[in-house]
Amino acid sequence: MTTKKQLKLAVLVAIHLLLIGIVCYAAFPVKAPDEPIRIMLENKGGKVLFDHQTHTAADGYGISCDDCHHHGEEDEDDKRACRYCHQEPPEGQAYSENCLECHDEEDIDEDFEEIGIKKAFHQQCAGCHEEFEAGPLTNDCSKCHVLLN
Amino acid sequence: MFKQKKFIVSHAPFWHIGSGIPERNYNMIIAALPAVLMGFTVFGIPAVGVIALSVAFAVLWELAVNYVSKRPYTVADGHAIYIGLIFGMVMPATVPWWLILVGTFLAIVIGKEIFGGIGSNPFNAVALAYAILLVSWGIHLDFNAKLANYTFDFPAAYPIAALQAFGPSATEPFSLLGMFMGQQVGGIGSVCGIAIVLGGVYLILRGFIRWEISVSFVVGVFVTAFLFNVYNPAVYGAPLFHLVTGYTLIGAFFLATDDGSSPVNFIPMLIYGALGGVLTVLIRNIGSYVDGVFFAILLINVVNPVLDKIRPKALGKVA
Repeated sequence: MTTKKQLKLAVLVAIHLLLIGIVCYAAFPVKAPDEPIRIMLENKGGKVLFDHQTHTAADGYGISCDDCHHHGEEDEDDKRACRYCHQEPPEGQAYSENCLECHDEEDIDEDFEEIGIKKAFHQQCAGCHEEFEAGPLTNDCSKCHVLLN
Repeated sequence: MFKQKKFIVSHAPFWHIGSGIPERNYNMIIAALPAVLMGFTVFGIPAVGVIALSVAFAVLWELAVNYVSKRPYTVADGHAIYIGLIFGMVMPATVPWWLILVGTFLAIVIGKEIFGGIGSNPFNAVALAYAILLVSWGIHLDFNAKLANYTFDFPAAYPIAALQAFGPSATEPFSLLGMFMGQQVGGIGSVCGIAIVLGGVYLILRGFIRWEISVSFVVGVFVTAFLFNVYNPAVYGAPLFHLVTGYTLIGAFFLATDDGSSPVNFIPMLIYGALGGVLTVLIRNIGSYVDGVFFAILLINVVNPVLDKIRPKALGKVA
């Protein structure tokens, strides 16, 4: 059996820790940097951890931003995430909202096919790996995709 | 004639040695602190927030249950603080605050209090909470996803996940000694093996946990991983890798040894620990979960009452 003094002490410690926890969460969150370090790509085929930093760093693979972020080539500060453009259009629409943000529907070539995120990633990742003969290739699914929980 | 002199008890009055439940729990907390501090050095201030919230919520949940059930307030015995601390130690440093709130509720209320409080829990409270959270919100317990914005001086992939997903060839960048010293991704208090072992040895020497469980758990993991590795080294990882990564050591010293859910006799303790180690590696190597420690501990908790049926021969004889 514990005394009232011990009980008060335990409650006081808990309240102080609660305040410390709130301050830590509010004032020191782990912010996503402007240039991603690693990106977890969630998908039905198994999540993929993409090491963005290693692919872009000069002492890594030294890939230029424009090699992947091919849309904003004219503006260095306008590098959008892949998923921003590469997404399936909503049902009943030919193009997604993000496409039409920059392009008029009438100006888009009739033969243009919107590339979804799955196809875009597979083309980009496997295409580059095949070109440089490095890293997992198209049919090495489990070298990138992880189905474990 | 029967001459054994064990269990001789003198008549009252007795003198209490002064040791009690609070002393045990506060010593468990002290033993866990080195591993927590190492976690703070690896993950920084966010880890402090997780541990602080985890302990605070655990104490507040226990206070709330005591109040609602009109039972004596038990938070000063340190057990809620201990559960909160261990729960925080197995979390990623960037886990959302609400998951800690839910997790500590599961540990304190569902894992412990509804069974009658300290010592009455059939399952390890933290293992139960973690398993429910993993099944329900696994993405928030995925270290690779949750720590994606951290830069480290060591390989940033969760080692045991790398092994399970890509095989032993993916473990080459990891240094066994480095991981044992805390240079790996993982739970806040489960990354530094040496700190956990030191804490565990302290508890064993002070008699707060039983060496039989911890040692047999570690041996169980090692031998099972060794057999898998010998069978097919291209697919299954080395036994030492299994020991220093994931939740193996925190499971062996701080989870499996929980007094309410572990056996009390010598042989059952050895079987209990070894079975935990074997199941851990089985779940890792042929299951669909990255780490099997928590499920293994829940499973050995289930067989614990059966194991305790193996009892030493009763002293004395019928005339």
